[in-house]
Amino acid sequence: MTNRRFKDNGFEPLLAYIILTLGFFGLSIYLFYKTEFAVYVYLLFALTLIGKLSENRRTEFLKICFGDAQVKGIRITENLICSTPFFAFLLYKQFFLFAGLLLVLTTILALVNFRASLNLTIWTPFSKRPFEFTIGFRNTFYLFFVAYVLTFFSVSVNNFNLGIFAMLLVFATTLSFYSKPENEYYVWIYHLNPKQFLLSKIKTAVLFSSSLALPIALVLSFYFYQNIGFVWLFFIVGWAFLIAIIVSKYSAYPHEMNIPQGILLAVSLWFPPILIILIPHLFRKAENKLSSLLK
Amino acid sequence: MIAIRNLSKKYGTNEVLKNINIEFDKGKVYGIVGENGAGKTTLFRCIADLENYEGEIISNLNPIKNHLGLLLTEPFFFQKITGKEYIQLICNARKMELTDIENKNIFDLPLNQYASTYSTGMKKKLALTAILLQGNDFFILDEPFNGVDIQSNIIITAIIHQLKALEKTVIISSHIFSTLSDTCDEIHLLDKGSFIRSVQKTDFQALETEMKQTTIGNRIDKLGLK
Repeated sequence: MTNRRFKDNGFEPLLAYIILTLGFFGLSIYLFYKTEFAVYVYLLFALTLIGKLSENRRTEFLKICFGDAQVKGIRITENLICSTPFFAFLLYKQFFLFAGLLLVLTTILALVNFRASLNLTIWTPFSKRPFEFTIGFRNTFYLFFVAYVLTFFSVSVNNFNLGIFAMLLVFATTLSFYSKPENEYYVWIYHLNPKQFLLSKIKTAVLFSSSLALPIALVLSFYFYQNIGFVWLFFIVGWAFLIAIIVSKYSAYPHEMNIPQGILLAVSLWFPPILIILIPHLFRKAENKLSSLLK
Repeated sequence: MIAIRNLSKKYGTNEVLKNINIEFDKGKVYGIVGENGAGKTTLFRCIADLENYEGEIISNLNPIKNHLGLLLTEPFFFQKITGKEYIQLICNARKMELTDIENKNIFDLPLNQYASTYSTGMKKKLALTAILLQGNDFFILDEPFNGVDIQSNIIITAIIHQLKALEKTVIISSHIFSTLSDTCDEIHLLDKGSFIRSVQKTDFQALETEMKQTTIGNRIDKLGLK
């Protein structure tokens, strides 16, 4: 299925795998270069990603296809395969204890049943304006908790970079809320034209992401006053990426964002000023895509 | 009023709707019946502007979609969104302020639970509640009675009567004839993408008898049940 998706987007699978591998190791090296707490973040990120495979409906589907007895084996194998890149990198960095811990936790994750938590409604501060932040917050609230804890550590150990990382973690998490296109009904229902619709989505995203990232920005501005300019620069860059991901999502609507769009966004990660051109371009494209559903 | 003129819809070479001409007046309830695949849902999607089509759809409510409450056969719900938040989302989209939701929860739905955990009937009732609170002038209800319990069926019938009294235009599709005969002023038969017959309320009984005879025929005998 992954190969088919690459081909649909006009990419030779082999080339895509090479780019992904290089990207993965590039970002891993960057993370470990940037902060001494990278190994914790790395482990958490790996488990969050692998945890997605434990989704209840997915497991039920596997049970129907393969039966209870085989499913455990399949799930453990899946998780171990997905943890391989993280495991290999941890070995390369000589974090043997963490590599072992990753394997143990990955195996346990394969056997976990999340069913009991399904009926529990998680509180969210974003109930009044569903749906992206309402759902996103429920899926990732623990990452905000992690970000606030990291901010506390950044102040206590006087590590500004760690604080900036915590703030960017909040923005990166909110970006994930806009990764998938919603059912057309949830665009069609709006009594707005495409431009108003996009601006409304951007306004909500900026407002809500700010409410999550602002406490970190204020703490950093207070305790690292000499770097206050950087704090607010990164804050604005966070907004810019959020806006970019929204217009990018709707510029491909109703399809998922394609790989060339992903590459453009990745390039702008290395050189954010590209967003000044990219955002207006994608905004116009998104307006055009939405014009069939919104009048 | 909504007037449909020479409406046709093709998916590739497959013509799903063929030269449809019909008018829907204010304050009337219309039933659309037809076998599976007759084109009912496609017709509704065209009226809602969810599909491109040939022909024209004229209305004093312009654009129609901004005044239309559309109940889909199988409403889609996000994971991890509560019933109350779903209603909030639908009302926000039409800039309607949501007030006193507990009192308006006439189907006694567990609004603080995730809507994705609701049963089929509960999902339908939630979606219906949401479009009713949008304050629409025009409603398309695609199989509103499907999967819903008897008590709620009674409530939905009463709601449709109330919508008619409020001079709203309502189009319903249903596979249960009695639900249509209880609510509709006219029933239109859609067959292979064309309207083949229109029946007024006075002739509903005759239509039902005729449909039973045509549909059942000697099919049951073929089973050879003993």
